Amino acid sequence: MKLEKRSPFIQVRNTTEHYRQSQHYKKGEVISAYGFLTPAVILALLFIVLPIILAFTYGFTDYYLLKPNDKHFNGLDNFKQMLSDDVLKQSFLNTIKFVVLVVPLQLSMALGLALIANKKIRGVGVFRTAYFSPAVLSLVVISILWTVMLNPTSGLINEILSNLGIGKQPFLSSASQAMYTIVFISAWSGCGYQMMIFLAGLKNIDHQMYEAAEIDGANPFQKFFYITLPSLKPITMFLVITTTIQAFKLIVQPMVMTGGGPDYSTMTILQYIYEYGFRHRNIGYACAITLMFTLFLVILSIGIKKLFREENVA
Amino acid sequence: MKMVKKCLFYIVAIAIALQFITPLVWMVLSSFKIDEVIYKDIGSIYAIFPRFSDLSLKSYTELLGFYNIFRNLLNSLLYASLTVVFGLTINSLAGYALARFKFPFKDGILIFIIALMIVPVEATILPLFSVVNEMGLINTIPGYLLPFIVNVMNIFLFRQHFLSFPGELIESGKIDGLSEIGCFLRIVIPSSLNMYITVGILTFLASWNDFLWPVMALSNADLMPIQVALNAIFSDTYNIFTSHIMAALTIVTIPIVILYIIFQKYIVEGSVQSGIK
Repeated sequence: MKLEKRSPFIQVRNTTEHYRQSQHYKKGEVISAYGFLTPAVILALLFIVLPIILAFTYGFTDYYLLKPNDKHFNGLDNFKQMLSDDVLKQSFLNTIKFVVLVVPLQLSMALGLALIANKKIRGVGVFRTAYFSPAVLSLVVISILWTVMLNPTSGLINEILSNLGIGKQPFLSSASQAMYTIVFISAWSGCGYQMMIFLAGLKNIDHQMYEAAEIDGANPFQKFFYITLPSLKPITMFLVITTTIQAFKLIVQPMVMTGGGPDYSTMTILQYIYEYGFRHRNIGYACAITLMFTLFLVILSIGIKKLFREENVA
Repeated sequence: MKMVKKCLFYIVAIAIALQFITPLVWMVLSSFKIDEVIYKDIGSIYAIFPRFSDLSLKSYTELLGFYNIFRNLLNSLLYASLTVVFGLTINSLAGYALARFKFPFKDGILIFIIALMIVPVEATILPLFSVVNEMGLINTIPGYLLPFIVNVMNIFLFRQHFLSFPGELIESGKIDGLSEIGCFLRIVIPSSLNMYITVGILTFLASWNDFLWPVMALSNADLMPIQVALNAIFSDTYNIFTSHIMAALTIVTIPIVILYIIFQKYIVEGSVQSGIK
């Protein structure tokens, strides 16, 4: 009897207390929270947000680094210049070409390697390590190593090719081959890493599905296309997104291997920004390109993520 | 039949493996040869299977005589370690605050951080250069390090990790009289060591391998990290020795190989995890 009378009272008190708690923050928690967050927020504001704001303002000026006090607002001049800039156009097309070639090549290589490395067979760990081994090389090391190996007259690759009866190739010193060479080297160096991610996905596939398919008489190709590929779809989509965004930011390989040449055939957007803004000190124009490029990448990444979500729901 | 299939599988697997390891083997072997031997061997099997009489440390001693490569190695080690220490501290504190505390503007700050994750940092590197330049910090170590200490992706990863951290542990710490920071240092960090090691190793590798930002922020040869110094050695027109270049490439790669051997589990799991989250 006593208890029954008291219980509604306690409940009411509890809810008001709960209500108060969510309204009023605990003083100690608020102070700690701001203390914990301040360094990160200050650094983010200074080095991520401020550059974006500056790109917006400088993009509309003729800011030249060596004359910092002599910058003028010049409206849309930079953007008009971009429209008639043939090298910029070519850099953009080069970047697109790289992305379109490297993403499918690298991912299918990674998937192939993962399928081999997933076989339950003796010595498979050695193969996995071998396929993964280029991951220990930095982009600069990869670029220098391959430039030496691809030397048109005395490089290792051309010696192998001529031993095989194929003529020597110019590779990086030819405008028609240089970009394809960079695509191949990027895929070669990057696919081991993605093989590991595919492997994690392959290990998660329920083995009973394959057994059931075998009972139904499915051949290896059917098993691959009807079980393996669909099961790997989320991981594949994730890798497509990250590799695509990463590929748009290509710069180190052409910077070290070709300097963007021959005839601008390997010049990428990011490298063009670097050349204009850093080497030629023309911050205004380079910031205008930065703005458009960043906008492009943000829209692209939001776009493919949306697509990814819709696909996932379906 | 099964035997034939197995053999075929091994042949294919080995042939592919050769394509991945041959460049590395050639790099390391060539660093122990002199140029004449490298180019004499290049068309034959000796390019990747050495005759031991040809191997020597000559290229290493010569390289270290020409270039002060150890200084650049130490620079890189210092930069990467500082980035790891400050990055782990600042990013994990922020992630912890966003996961644990209730405070005004919490959602706003979280949205702000998630929005920044979409902005590609490398794409805005030029305006970043002019920010650091206007602070007068170009060619200084703080100017090089500060911009890449905060990492919004890592803040987010730490937040996700701390969201599932058992609150009772922290409450019991408070009952024992620990402050918020005390709980964090004494209870949260020791029981999240795996997370710290994973993020720390990935941060270290990213910093060690970084090229574009140091090219812009550090032009002083004494401050250059190893990757930039490598490119300088490679494009040095006075240096015509392939063996020297290969020795330099090998020296730079050794620390990373050691890291991979010790922390392989963390590196692979970390990149898989950051992908799934």
